[in-house]
Amino acid sequence: MTSTVDTAGEPVPTSSLLMAAAKHIGTKCRGENLAFLKCKKDDPNPEKCLDKGRQVTQCVLHLLRDLHQNCSKELDAYAGCMYYHTNEFELCRKEQKEFEKACTL
Amino acid sequence: MTEAVIRKKAGMASVKDMPVLQDGPPPGGFAPVRFARRIPNKGPSAMAIFLATFGAFSWGMYQVGKGNKIRRALKEEKYAARRAILPMLQAEEDERIHKEWKKYLEEEARIMKDVPGWKVGENVYHSGRWMPPATGELRPDIW
Repeated sequence: MTSTVDTAGEPVPTSSLLMAAAKHIGTKCRGENLAFLKCKKDDPNPEKCLDKGRQVTQCVLHLLRDLHQNCSKELDAYAGCMYYHTNEFELCRKEQKEFEKACTL
Repeated sequence: MTEAVIRKKAGMASVKDMPVLQDGPPPGGFAPVRFARRIPNKGPSAMAIFLATFGAFSWGMYQVGKGNKIRRALKEEKYAARRAILPMLQAEEDERIHKEWKKYLEEEARIMKDVPGWKVGENVYHSGRWMPPATGELRPDIW
């Protein structure tokens, strides 16, 4: 896997890309995440939380698109390193530092 | 030649008078040999050894504690990342389950359309909570 985007230029949310951007997702989409989790706690029925789930997905995909526009090279390097080392943070510290310098949290 | 012929002494009456041939000490005797214990009593005392052991052990445990803190921080980082992306993955799975469930309900309606009094998609439990479907067929690609 050499690139994080598909043919349309949209970032594909693979596990390595999501784990690479996890800190950003945790801060920027915190509200949507918490609302969705609260809805799930009240009722685990998937049909009842579909709208909140859609908000979560939209937030994460927009965030990935912004990250890809602002610092695509560092993001690609970091996600590629994560892919190579199966999401092991300790083995990708260099790429992580470069990425967080380019796209600050 | 017998020993009596070789070692005979003048005026010997029988073999019993032969001079004795023995391996003995040199004249004046051997030099004195020390066989007493001489273990020196210097070196670290018991308290010194105990303190050194205790010190090495505590330094080692301190290093273990430091390493555990570092490892726990790494694990916390991994868990925090998983917590951050969990809602996204669950939302995607919910969408997929919703689609499959609708297909399943249509299939059930088609199969049971001639059965009187059958409510499609009826909850088989009476507790009111939502239970995950137990048909075992919602992922035909896996099964």
